[in-house]
Amino acid sequence: MRLEELDEPFVVESVSLAEYPDALRFPRFEAPLSAGVRESRLLTQAPWVRSLGKLDMTVQTEGWKFPAPPPELDRPPRPMTEKAEPKLTEPTLPDRARPDATEKKRIRTRPTSDMVLTKDRLLFLLQPPLDGLFLGKQLEVPFEPFPYQLEGIAFLMPRHSALLADEMGLGKTAQAILALRLMFHQGLVKSVLIVTPKPLVHNWCRELKLWAPDLPHEVFPQDPDLRRSAWKVSNCPVKLINYEALTRDADMASDPSIYFDVVVLDEAQRIKNKDAKTAQAVRSLHRSRSWALTGTPIENHADDLVNIFAFVDPGRVPSDTPPKRIAQLTSDCILRRTKDDVQSDMPPKILRDLEVELTPAQRYAYDRAENDGIVQLNELGDTISVQHVFHLVMRLKQICNFDPLTGESAKLEQLMTDMEEVASSGRKAIIFSQWVEPLLVLAKALDGFGTLQYHGRIPQAERTPILDRFKADPDKHLLLMSYGSGSVGLNLQFTNYVFLFDRWWNPAVEDQAINRAHRIGQRFPVTVTRFQAEGTIEGRIAGILEAKRKVFNDLLSQADKPANLGLTEDEVFGLFDIKARPKRAG
Amino acid sequence: MTDTPSDPTTPPASNPHTLNLGFLTIVQDGSGVFGGYLVTNSWGRPLEFRLTTAVQPNRVQQILYGPTLTEYLHAELIGKTLVEKTSVAPSLIITDSLPALGLRDRLQIPVVAVRIGATDDGPEILQLTHPRSSVMLAYLAKYPDDKAAIDERLDRIDSAVDLAEPFARIREAVAEARKMGVTSRAA
Repeated sequence: MRLEELDEPFVVESVSLAEYPDALRFPRFEAPLSAGVRESRLLTQAPWVRSLGKLDMTVQTEGWKFPAPPPELDRPPRPMTEKAEPKLTEPTLPDRARPDATEKKRIRTRPTSDMVLTKDRLLFLLQPPLDGLFLGKQLEVPFEPFPYQLEGIAFLMPRHSALLADEMGLGKTAQAILALRLMFHQGLVKSVLIVTPKPLVHNWCRELKLWAPDLPHEVFPQDPDLRRSAWKVSNCPVKLINYEALTRDADMASDPSIYFDVVVLDEAQRIKNKDAKTAQAVRSLHRSRSWALTGTPIENHADDLVNIFAFVDPGRVPSDTPPKRIAQLTSDCILRRTKDDVQSDMPPKILRDLEVELTPAQRYAYDRAENDGIVQLNELGDTISVQHVFHLVMRLKQICNFDPLTGESAKLEQLMTDMEEVASSGRKAIIFSQWVEPLLVLAKALDGFGTLQYHGRIPQAERTPILDRFKADPDKHLLLMSYGSGSVGLNLQFTNYVFLFDRWWNPAVEDQAINRAHRIGQRFPVTVTRFQAEGTIEGRIAGILEAKRKVFNDLLSQADKPANLGLTEDEVFGLFDIKARPKRAG
Repeated sequence: MTDTPSDPTTPPASNPHTLNLGFLTIVQDGSGVFGGYLVTNSWGRPLEFRLTTAVQPNRVQQILYGPTLTEYLHAELIGKTLVEKTSVAPSLIITDSLPALGLRDRLQIPVVAVRIGATDDGPEILQLTHPRSSVMLAYLAKYPDDKAAIDERLDRIDSAVDLAEPFARIREAVAEARKMGVTSRAA
């Protein structure tokens, strides 16, 4: 019962013990209390008391500071002018349960297998993905590179030794420039030397302006004194020099005080002869990174590749390395894609092998020249040399082009018909020949199609304006080129027809020529017509070379064994039914 | 060259040339909780990277810290330590850990967390969107002025940047560093 529930108030009264005599009286406790020493350890010592351990927590850190962009490239971000709605429905943050779900789609740099420093490995792992990077405002580009080109950039950036061996026309120059540009922006490189064939210097300048407008560049001047200044004094971040000038300046090139963060070797097949002065000058350059660009790393023999690697990574491939081992040693440093690999990004290339029947005058001249030639070769006995046979081959090929007496040409007749179609459709064509003379004849015969010429007899200073005119003038439908002058580096992707009036000895050179037109930027199919005079030496040579063309790609894909891609001596002799053979020592 | 202020917690926001982003990730695995921190420039290029050793609170620490333990670990012990030890100062800190938003109480730098999906994080957390992030962003409601500062900084970032992207890089770099024995060396 609770107090408030009582009927009457609850009163507490005091009670006197005197009224209760029977109550017990307790004795008064007077002894003092004292604690013994033994009792004092009860609560303060083990095992009753244990330490709580450290209550505070600490962590240690380790960090890496990466190179910062140079001030001139570290521009403030440009203000945003418009705001797009965020895509909140499709998050791209990697799902922790499936960490690779998003990463597989990104194209990123990766450390190489031989990169040993943690800082270097982290630097390339921490680079932003390349896909989408060029969509931003910081890096202006004329158009976003293709995915395979981004992979090429991701291949080049972390590598000190690299051979970019993409098939011609896939944009090796642009890939190299963009890789350099990103490395400049990251502060990884400060000085670059680009070595290129003389006719391509202008092309490189144009590409640099296009793909890296924020990178200043300079071309080594012709004057020796000015060139010395360019070597010794100039601090321009990107310098361009042609092979010939570099060879002349070999002393300065090998000066240890002159150092480049990257040396880029364009058309690197130029150093396939390791003893040539050019190759020696290139190898003597003091550098940190060595990048080689070529669509034809093996023009004739596997040694071509070995000698390019003498620059790319000296010592990696000893000169006596068996061919089978070369692919193993070099695979980590080589990236090669063919147009087939990136077919979806390129319009098709249509190959048309056009067999023409020689005119009666040509046939007569040809048969007589071949028969007489064979007789003469056999009469040479063991004094015969491969040069004698070559002489006959050249003579016959020229007859296949034009009859020496009448000037008749079955190829030209067909060409006239084809060019009518090309011109009427408003498109442009290139005709390649091994010699300048046929080009001069063709220039007259095809003058009505707005014909321009680009070959060894055209002064260097006039060549670039000719290309510009061919591109810009809608009435100029035809460009006549020699393989030697026009087969490398030029960008003629506004051309949709290529005619090989006669065939070159090496399929790699023909490919170079064809790919002036069939390259990145081409928007339409490219038709390649390879003329071949029926029943002549041309057909026999084409058969041998076609069989060898396959070997070129086989080596780079680590197939069996490399071979000579040009004609061997036995193959040259085998072109004719001749019994004579040169006398061999021993 | 990016400035290196003596006090890394003081953002150089007044300098238009220097807008650096600090990306903080917190990882928990069998070895404990640890953090990775990447400072990039305004278009995502790495400038500095730092990571911590793992910390594994014992039972007593768990009891004593109670519900404050996670924020203490993420924001104070790992986050603040990483930011202070890093020489390149950030103008904005982005984290993938909501508890690490508490870093804002400890530094005079706006802090946002990337949030996957439209999660209701309670009244203490406000959400915002921005074109520079493919996912929702969150910041502490007790710093309402931060929204303007966050927007101002994000507006100045290159349009190719997505705030959610660098965390994949950081985790990969952390894994690489641990594979190379860095964290055991630091411990």
